[in-house]
Amino acid sequence: MTVHRKAVLIAAAMAATAALALSGCSAGGGESADSLDGSQLLTIPREDMGTFDRNFNPFANPDFPMTQQAIFESMLVYNPADGSTTPWLATEWEVAPDSTGITYHLRDGVKWSDGEPFVADDVVVSFDLQREVRGGFDYIESVTAVDPHTVQFDFNQPFSPALLDIGQQVIAPAHVWADVDDPTKFANEEPVGTGPYTEVTSFQAQSFDLGKNPNYWQPEKQKIEGIRMLAFSGNDGANLAAANGDVDWAPQFIPNIDEAYVAKDPDNRFFWFPPTGSMINWQFNTTKAPFDDADVRKALSMAVDREQVTEIGMQGYTRPADCTGLTGSYDSWRDEAVVESCTWTARDLEGAGELLDEAGITLGEDGKRVLPDGTPFAFDFSVGSTSSDWVSVGNVIAQNLAELGVTVTVAAKDWGDVVAGYENGTFDSGIVWSANAPTPYQFYRGAMSTETVKPVGEQTFDNYHRYGNPEADALLAQFAAASDEAAQHEIMSRLQALFADTAPVAPLFPGPEWGAASNARFTGWPTEDDPYATLSTRARTTVLVLTSLEPVVAD
Amino acid sequence: MGYMLRRFGFYLVAFWVSITLNFFLPRFMPGDPVSRMVARLQGQIRPDQIEALRESFGLSDAPLWEQYLRYLGQIFTGNLGFSISRFPTPVIDVISSVIGWTFLLGFVSLIIAVVIGNVLGILAAWRRGGVLDSFVPPLLIFIGSFPYFWLAMGLLYLFGVTLGWFPLRHAYEVGTAPEFSLAFVGDVAYHLILPATSIVLVSVGGWMLGMRNTMIATNAEDYIVMAEAKGLRANRVMMQYAARNALLPSVTAFGMSLGFVVGGALLTEVVFAYPGIGYTLLAAVQNLDYPLMQGLFLTITTAVLIANFLVDIVYVRLDPRVRVS
Repeated sequence: MTVHRKAVLIAAAMAATAALALSGCSAGGGESADSLDGSQLLTIPREDMGTFDRNFNPFANPDFPMTQQAIFESMLVYNPADGSTTPWLATEWEVAPDSTGITYHLRDGVKWSDGEPFVADDVVVSFDLQREVRGGFDYIESVTAVDPHTVQFDFNQPFSPALLDIGQQVIAPAHVWADVDDPTKFANEEPVGTGPYTEVTSFQAQSFDLGKNPNYWQPEKQKIEGIRMLAFSGNDGANLAAANGDVDWAPQFIPNIDEAYVAKDPDNRFFWFPPTGSMINWQFNTTKAPFDDADVRKALSMAVDREQVTEIGMQGYTRPADCTGLTGSYDSWRDEAVVESCTWTARDLEGAGELLDEAGITLGEDGKRVLPDGTPFAFDFSVGSTSSDWVSVGNVIAQNLAELGVTVTVAAKDWGDVVAGYENGTFDSGIVWSANAPTPYQFYRGAMSTETVKPVGEQTFDNYHRYGNPEADALLAQFAAASDEAAQHEIMSRLQALFADTAPVAPLFPGPEWGAASNARFTGWPTEDDPYATLSTRARTTVLVLTSLEPVVAD
Repeated sequence: MGYMLRRFGFYLVAFWVSITLNFFLPRFMPGDPVSRMVARLQGQIRPDQIEALRESFGLSDAPLWEQYLRYLGQIFTGNLGFSISRFPTPVIDVISSVIGWTFLLGFVSLIIAVVIGNVLGILAAWRRGGVLDSFVPPLLIFIGSFPYFWLAMGLLYLFGVTLGWFPLRHAYEVGTAPEFSLAFVGDVAYHLILPATSIVLVSVGGWMLGMRNTMIATNAEDYIVMAEAKGLRANRVMMQYAARNALLPSVTAFGMSLGFVVGGALLTEVVFAYPGIGYTLLAAVQNLDYPLMQGLFLTITTAVLIANFLVDIVYVRLDPRVRVS
């Protein structure tokens, strides 16, 4: 009996060892041997939805994959990676001298995927629908179809950022949507659009395919056969698919991307994270003393080692911010004079200490700073617990501030809780995103306009730090009224100087636009050397990528 | 018959209590759906769009009891409203599009675990002290104690990525459409092997141990001795006398587990990218999607109650003592 048991034990141990040893082997070729004959579908993962519901409504369901990118198009496309604007459904436009209106001239010969011609009435109806379903565009007084190829927008106030704001609205067909009873609830299961890939050739909960638009206005740019979206319940499944080569485009966040993704096929795979996401700020609740003092804010900002924050917290995928608070999208607006003359985004413990001393926050016996009333200078840093990279950033900042004698406690909670604190103004400080529109107008408005300030206790969705400066209001109004580019740049420089002077928030780093792709099955991707678009699948520039990619044909 | 009616009445009351809790509990959670959506999209929603969003979600300011009465009315007309986290898809469509896969995965895994676990338990108890009895229950419990996602990822990595024996994700080959053909059923079964195996591995230990323990107690009964004394074959005594009686607790546990199958297997869906209701439920709770949460909890509640009701009926057939009392 004992011998028998021993044999069984030995056999089990060997089996277990064999299994462990096998799993240590490198993965045997995961590439599926599908023939590269040019008809392969561009395969893209979507990691935050789990399953797909068949709803291609661009107004009520704008985040659905490829609806606003492959099916519907806008009048122009602004590329934040290089600051260029590409005319798309509109070929020319004229801005009224006092920025109270714009006239767009639509492209000839564009047809909807059902064969009907694209006309100005479609634009009029689209704006009506957008305002009905989601609101916004409050500055628009009226939209008129002057003739079938000309649309005129009239505003109730001067608003120069409207050019790109209106230009990037997706356009839907009037002849389909006019018959819809409730545009908010309309599922639009068989979408009609002007985009390159509008035909739903297959739709399942786990994936769907989009085929070519038979009436596309740029048929020579429809080189790829179609698009296939795969659904995943979280980043892990999507990252596995990317690492294994089962998808061509990986727009999600991949940790340790060099080893996890690029190293598996370094000849074909690459990643590029342009700093064109929204600026990530360390915001302070300016309704709570001592955060209402600009010098205190600057001092706290000076204690942060932004190099460490970007290297350790963000794994080196982005770069430190400067005093203008502008991301890489706004390189053409950036005033270098402001950048050079301003010091509070560079690490300077001594300078920070001096500013705090002047504000009455002095070092105590134990090396910790105390407020004028004797209480220790300690506060919370709010961050959502699921954003592990931002939690790391918070930890780095807490360490940096400890060297100044300030105690910062990282309070990582559920994002819903954190944002509720921001909205009601009950937070101390925290990490937060900012507005990311084609011009810096919305960013500065959200950062320091009195119009966006709401009292503590009243729920707000903008300007959580509740700082307002009447000078900023005046400059923003001037910017909105200026239609001359030179005038706009001059006003924007003054806004940057004001931001650098008052430090409403402490900008940390521009959020990187994640994106990785492989040249194994498709070529023609945007890269750092050729930034004709970003590698995002949810941006307006995605359609530029879709119309530039070419399939690889293996001989 | 009276027994049946009494049970039915009990289940109706349980149902009403459940749907009332389903309504009130999510509303005790702090925050509101619009705020959560803003947090989730992190700056992609413009502040001037928030008001229209709130209106389109149908979030009402009416007093809670008024909303509750409207909710009761909507349940009985089958109108479950529109989901907020998957706006503007109706809740019925969200649930019905994936509940089939959840049920397939859960049911297949459950049946396999129950059958294997119970058979092993019966054999282990019958041959007490043997190899099966000494090694297998601790081994299975040991395997089942591993964190589920570790086990699932290990299986996926070993058999899917390294050896390439099984598909890595999804319920069937991407791009094919479901149809009632042998090839498609085979494809679905092939994709089901790894996810189901992972669930079976963690749960079979519990079934085996439970069945074994009940069998050991049953084996000590007098009627087993009587059957053996009558000269019946050992196998017949084991199955027709001992196992039949030892099965009763397993049947009850099976009924309960069957109901909860429709709650979805969240971790399985995450690891194997299997379409199912688990991830949808998680997203619904995180986004305070009241209509979808209500719809899903209603589905789970109904499934559990129906499963238990069916088990009660089966119990009457299996256990004559219940019929008499």
